[in-house]
Amino acid sequence: MTFDLARILESKRAFRRQLAARPIAEKLAMLDALREREITLRQPGQSAVTESSGVLHEKPAPYRTGRKGGKKR
Amino acid sequence: MNIREVIKTINQMQADGVIERYAVGGAVGATFYLEPVATLDVDVFVTFKPEAGSVNISPQGIYDYLTARGGTVQGEYIVISGWPVQFLPPANPLVEEALAQAVDKDVAGTSVRVFTAEHLAAVALQTGHAKDKARLLQFIEAGVLDPARFQTVLTRHGLAAAWKRFEQQFLRDQP
Repeated sequence: MTFDLARILESKRAFRRQLAARPIAEKLAMLDALREREITLRQPGQSAVTESSGVLHEKPAPYRTGRKGGKKR
Repeated sequence: MNIREVIKTINQMQADGVIERYAVGGAVGATFYLEPVATLDVDVFVTFKPEAGSVNISPQGIYDYLTARGGTVQGEYIVISGWPVQFLPPANPLVEEALAQAVDKDVAGTSVRVFTAEHLAAVALQTGHAKDKARLLQFIEAGVLDPARFQTVLTRHGLAAAWKRFEQQFLRDQP
């Protein structure tokens, strides 16, 4: 345990690197678990959209359309 | 809820000829390079086959295929194994290139096509929402980008100025 901010930040980075290095199957299983948690935590209308069925999903990403300089969505 | 089932379903859909080519992008695609980050849906970029007798491209064939196999349509999404999945056509040259140059990854014996890290980062820069900028920072901090390749992608798609702004805003005081 430390209150040294530099060490705390470095330990956080190290933990993230460890997570990133996990096998992809394990990381995808984490996504399943994280999504279940998000559904539990998020309130309707807060950075997410709920359909009538209760399926929660992100607001559609604004992937830009058209050629460079063209009309954008 | 099982994202690996989503991947298997999409692979089968490709094997059955419903789609020509696909690649996973967005937060799920990023998970192949970074630590997992909570997301609510799956972005799958696809090249659609034109419907018979039509020059128009439509996701209808995908919807028909998946609903016949238990998927449910929710607006622009189709729910597979508990995950809302959005099938997206490549909407601009960057995403077209990302789809064309996507790489095969192995998930415990199941193959999946995923955008490269450089294309995921470039798309995040182009999209430009806060969560996309956060993802771009994750890519940089994780050191998974090939700098030369990333810069080439940015230059080719007119994102050099956006990158410069991003650098000034977020990376100027990085240790």
